[in-house]
Amino acid sequence: MKRTLITLIFFTFVIANDQIPAPPQKHPILLKNGVIHTVSNGVINGAILFEKGKITRIAEHISPPAGAEVIDLDGKHVYPGLIAAVSGIGLTEISAVAVTNDHSERGDFNPNVRANVAYNPDSQIIPTTRSNGVLIANVAPGSGLVSGQSSIMLMDGWTWENATMEHPSGLHVNWPDMGIRSGGWFRMPADKQIKRRQESLKMLDEMIKEGRAYARLRQSKSSKAEDYHDSDLRLESLIHYVRGEKPIYVHANEVRQIEAAIHWANRHEVKIIIVGGKDAWRTADLLRTNNVAVIYEGVTALPNRRYEDYDQAYKGPALLHEAGVQFCISTSGSAGGSYRVRNLPNQAAMAAAYGLPKDVALRSITLSVAEVIGIADRVGSLESGKDATLFISNGDPLEIRTNVLQAYIQGRKIDMGDHHKSLYHKYQEKYRQLGILQE
Amino acid sequence: MKTKLILFLWIFSFLFAQTGPAKELHRNPPRAWALTNATVHTAPGKTIDNGTVILRDGMITAVGARVKIPKQATILDMDGKHIYAGFIESWLDVKTAKKDTSLQAYWNANMRAYLNGADLFHPKETSLKELRGLGFTTAHITPKGGIFQGASALVQLGETPKILSNSVAQVVEYANGGWGAKEYPTSLLGAIAFIRQGLIDADWYNKTQSILAKYPDGNAPIQSDRSLAALAKAKQSKQPFIFRTGNELYIDRSSNIADEFDLNLWIKGNGYEYRRIDEMPASFMIVPLDFPAKPEVADPHNALQYSTEQLKHWDLAPDNAAKLASAGFQFALTSDGLKNKSDFRKNLSRAVQRGLSEADALAALTTHPAKEMGQSKRLGKVAPGYIGNLVITDGSYFDSKTKVNAVWIDGNEYDVAPDPMVDASGDWTLKEGTNIWTLSLDIPEDEIEMSIDEEFDMIYLSGSLKLNNKYIELSNLALDQDRLSFSVEADTVLQKGVTRFKGTITDQKATGQVTYADGSTRLWSANFDSALEKKEKKTETEQASDLSLVFPEGAYGLDSSVPSPKTILVNDATIWTSGPKGVLKEWDILFQNGKVKKIAKNISLPRGKALIIDGKGKHVTPGLIDAHSHMAGESINEGFENVTAEVRMRDVIDPNDVAMYRALAGGLTTINLLHGSANPIGGQNVVMKLRWGSFSNDLIFKEAPQGIKFALGENVKRKRSYGRYPETRMGVEQVIRDAFRAAQDYKKAWDTYNKDVKLQRSSIPPRRNLEMDALVEIMEGKRLLHSHSYRQDEILMLTRIAEDFGFTIATFQHVLEGYKVAERLAEHGAGASTFSDWWAYKYEVVDAIGFNGTLMHNAGVNVSFNSDSDELARRMNLEAAKAVKYGGLDEAEALKFVTINPAKQLKIDKYVGSLEVGKDADFAIWSGHPLSTYSICEQTWLDGKQYFSLENDKYLRERDGKVRNDLIQKILKAPDNGGKKMKAKGRQGNRFHSCDAFESYLMEGGE
Repeated sequence: MKRTLITLIFFTFVIANDQIPAPPQKHPILLKNGVIHTVSNGVINGAILFEKGKITRIAEHISPPAGAEVIDLDGKHVYPGLIAAVSGIGLTEISAVAVTNDHSERGDFNPNVRANVAYNPDSQIIPTTRSNGVLIANVAPGSGLVSGQSSIMLMDGWTWENATMEHPSGLHVNWPDMGIRSGGWFRMPADKQIKRRQESLKMLDEMIKEGRAYARLRQSKSSKAEDYHDSDLRLESLIHYVRGEKPIYVHANEVRQIEAAIHWANRHEVKIIIVGGKDAWRTADLLRTNNVAVIYEGVTALPNRRYEDYDQAYKGPALLHEAGVQFCISTSGSAGGSYRVRNLPNQAAMAAAYGLPKDVALRSITLSVAEVIGIADRVGSLESGKDATLFISNGDPLEIRTNVLQAYIQGRKIDMGDHHKSLYHKYQEKYRQLGILQE
Repeated sequence: MKTKLILFLWIFSFLFAQTGPAKELHRNPPRAWALTNATVHTAPGKTIDNGTVILRDGMITAVGARVKIPKQATILDMDGKHIYAGFIESWLDVKTAKKDTSLQAYWNANMRAYLNGADLFHPKETSLKELRGLGFTTAHITPKGGIFQGASALVQLGETPKILSNSVAQVVEYANGGWGAKEYPTSLLGAIAFIRQGLIDADWYNKTQSILAKYPDGNAPIQSDRSLAALAKAKQSKQPFIFRTGNELYIDRSSNIADEFDLNLWIKGNGYEYRRIDEMPASFMIVPLDFPAKPEVADPHNALQYSTEQLKHWDLAPDNAAKLASAGFQFALTSDGLKNKSDFRKNLSRAVQRGLSEADALAALTTHPAKEMGQSKRLGKVAPGYIGNLVITDGSYFDSKTKVNAVWIDGNEYDVAPDPMVDASGDWTLKEGTNIWTLSLDIPEDEIEMSIDEEFDMIYLSGSLKLNNKYIELSNLALDQDRLSFSVEADTVLQKGVTRFKGTITDQKATGQVTYADGSTRLWSANFDSALEKKEKKTETEQASDLSLVFPEGAYGLDSSVPSPKTILVNDATIWTSGPKGVLKEWDILFQNGKVKKIAKNISLPRGKALIIDGKGKHVTPGLIDAHSHMAGESINEGFENVTAEVRMRDVIDPNDVAMYRALAGGLTTINLLHGSANPIGGQNVVMKLRWGSFSNDLIFKEAPQGIKFALGENVKRKRSYGRYPETRMGVEQVIRDAFRAAQDYKKAWDTYNKDVKLQRSSIPPRRNLEMDALVEIMEGKRLLHSHSYRQDEILMLTRIAEDFGFTIATFQHVLEGYKVAERLAEHGAGASTFSDWWAYKYEVVDAIGFNGTLMHNAGVNVSFNSDSDELARRMNLEAAKAVKYGGLDEAEALKFVTINPAKQLKIDKYVGSLEVGKDADFAIWSGHPLSTYSICEQTWLDGKQYFSLENDKYLRERDGKVRNDLIQKILKAPDNGGKKMKAKGRQGNRFHSCDAFESYLMEGGE
């Protein structure tokens, strides 16, 4: 009977054509006879109980509280929801169709724009992504020099307000090119490149200085008219960052960019996170001694330079881990890649194949992400008191062949259907009708 | 001190050799000369000390140590001088008009074979002077512009250049406008097809002309074409075709074309010949001495931006000529490509220091080009009967400090850097009134050189006057020919104020007048005491690079032949055969002579008979196959026209692409290098084995059938700025249908012609058309069709066209909606080569699903997963795992998506794709389950040779790391020798050629 129940749970999605956001958790849910991968506290063969959206207990044996729904996992696995550390998900649907893109505001300097207001909770990409266990995404704009502010979004909700877990999570800066690019389609002359770089760096310095000055002016308690300062949305948005309350995500891959960003942050006493970090291994000491974390984006990227080791990108996380740099793994945060956020676990697995310990690899897409983006008090691991944002799988999610069977976000049971599964079932039906597929 | 005779000669042409009237009065300066007491380099390696050269009426009449000097000859004492035969500048570009606007023009402006370099040569006196300054007396004039650029000419560089030959060679360049250009071709692919079609057209045109000459009445006239006529003539008369080349690959491409069309091949080289010297054709080459500037490595971060291959090229480029010579090549050297022509001497001297013998260097400037250009009886030697072209130097030409004093062209002298009229440097005793001064004068060497460009040979120098140990610096010091002047400002010994000296030097004496501050004057005189001690500038002698070459050049190039034991035995491994035997746990597999020999539970061999690999815990799979790749393709799209069936990927293979090595490190051994998806009918693909280190032609999978790429949907219907048809899927269908109809008509015309002897004798034949040939081959089933496709409607459409024209499509590529019409694919018999899980990057993939592969497979379609990406190609085994994830396919079946299934699609399954006895020994050894994300590829073997192993990779990393470090140290210590700045190419190797991978690259964190 229990098995039937579970089967029902795992395969009801086939009916739905459009996914329906889940209602709040009404009764306690106990998952038992499972392999509970807590991330923070090892693996427990046993049970996990969550109530009102929070994990309340993890133990080998838990007696179900009154009114609890009990699900026998029969040896299946439970993991904390995977977290996309930077992503354009929800801001784009089809990157080649311009009107479906909302990630790149016009102009070079947009610190004020906020991602969550443009997050489309009905994007078809979201269900396909959570089908692979990614349940939270830090959604960021991505254009110009200062792109805007990111928001941490739950991968389920009726509206963007429902789906917002944290806003703002940070300010996004695309660090200027520090070298001279040549070849390919890039044809800007060297002197122009240098001039542009110098202007951009000056703008970044000015941004912090002006932001500080503005914060002080707006703080003034004086009621005199002459002390009043008119509002400026761009500068207003910088207040969190000039005060060091929230991090600035600096998108930088090349070693000179990373170094320049760290010196910039020290000069202005702001908190930064490096996003991209292909060359981070070349400057690991600087990152570690300055406590700068890296969101490593390109595990499956090609090596940055022709002569680099063929597995340079694969082993990047292992090198950072060995050097004691705080890091997590992400797919690229570029909006065009939103549809591949679902392959986040494969990125971690590739790092594991090339030297990163397996448990660290899992951590690098769960708890480590939560720590880097500042939500580890709520998610990232399976612990009492944390959100019941987790999933059940038939194996190690870092293995491609594994499938996620059921996900919960803050205890809410997620509709596991998606556009792809719907089409799959639609066309299975076609071939059944044609007699090509047997029942 | 010695005063030297300076001859001021005005140059006049022979009056009897010109047709125009005399200007003013007839001029008849002496026409016979005896150049005596010189070191005469009569020919490469042959020298006469104290020799005499007799010139008369523009020709050399006698040369030797004991030559009778004719009475008419004016004797020029060349004591201390060297005489060489005039040098030939083997490459001098002249620009051509953009387009043939005549009624005899080819359809495309890139065809300019009718042009003649000599007609376009309008040199400025300054550029002639510059050339003569290097010792060049003759130049090979080469038209530049378009693809077939015209005939080159050989011209004397005298005041009125004389043509020695006006059709030396037909010049060809792989020119193309690049993506977005306004005319075909827009790529290297198209340029090569253009060359091939042009040569075919020339033959056809020639044939039509002879038919029309014999049967003028029965045939409709055809359009005249002066370029085709010129090409046909050049081809028939075995005139050389010289191809401009950018690197060693272009030489190989030129060699392929020459072989195909039986051309007399010449190569305009590029400085990279050393990289594949054993593969270079034995053709005459004209090679530049264009060495790169020092890479900017002082900033360690900047140093990272250079590829190892670039750093090595900095050290190896100056060795190129020596390497060519020692490999026995006949080549000429040219200053072409140098930004500063004066670098030619310096670079030549460097090449000589690095091992090019002076004889070989001299031959490259004289006898080799003279012989090749048909002038061996009158150019290149100092010998009787040769044209009076000479170079006069004050030392060995190959020492860059040696000055070229003059050149003689047609028996006329042209001053270059004559010795100064007087050599005043040194100490003089100067008497002025009662004062006896010591005058010290210093004429720096480089001041003299600078003065060459001056209108007058004014020499500026420095000096001092000394009296009773008191020095006074001279100011306004000048030596104008033999006239010396300077001024002195003094307080006590002379009058207060500025005193001016002016005088004339004759032999070892100088006399003149001094003008004091008050305007009074007096005579002064001076006697030469002692010459200044010449400061010998120390120049470091360069040594040849001690770097060893690797293949291809740069990081990870192979430095010895890859391990290729005759017999390899892998023991106790899990063998995924992808064949009828399925997956075999703890079995043995034996490879011999590059083939699978035996697969059995236990194979034992006598010790030492085989390389034995312990396979315990390991997994062995066939080498993986990628049916859609763009790696190792230097050019991907010829997209200007909607049908470009004539272009061939095999022509543009780039064996230097590191993507191949990276893919080998992921177990991949075979790829299908496809044309891009810019047009409905694209170019011909080439199936390749990743024999890393091999040269282009050796990468080709010879047994694989020929194929072609088609493309449907968004990429081909996208609006082009120049307005290309089609812009809808409706139009795409019509374009393809029309192409096949035209091909049917073409075939009909040929069949008719071939059957009818009378037609063949008296009518204009059909024109062979490379584009139509390819289309006919598709219809005849001889050329496999691989079509880029997404939506179900277009997939269905193309199967219907194929059936209408009687052939079967080999594969649909991408075919992301293949799952919607799987029964049609199965019924038609097409394979499906798809992405595992890509979607949402463009509108036509909005319904693309990960279950596509499994659904099609279950409906009976042969399915493979492809990469279309240099990145993804490194982990195709994990792509296969997605067929298990999406749709639950059996694991062994899933692996077949990247092994035997693509092999079947490419019709190479007889050789590769599974581990079965008799098939190629292409296999990969994995650390664990090949579909596990935690497994890595440990070894990759191809044809029984080990092209990748973790162990060897480690060795290569260490080797290349050391090469980089050592080179950077060498560069940091090296002098600045000028040259062109290298654009840092450290990031090269990450290419984005693909139909649709670009966005995905960005996503995956790629560039």
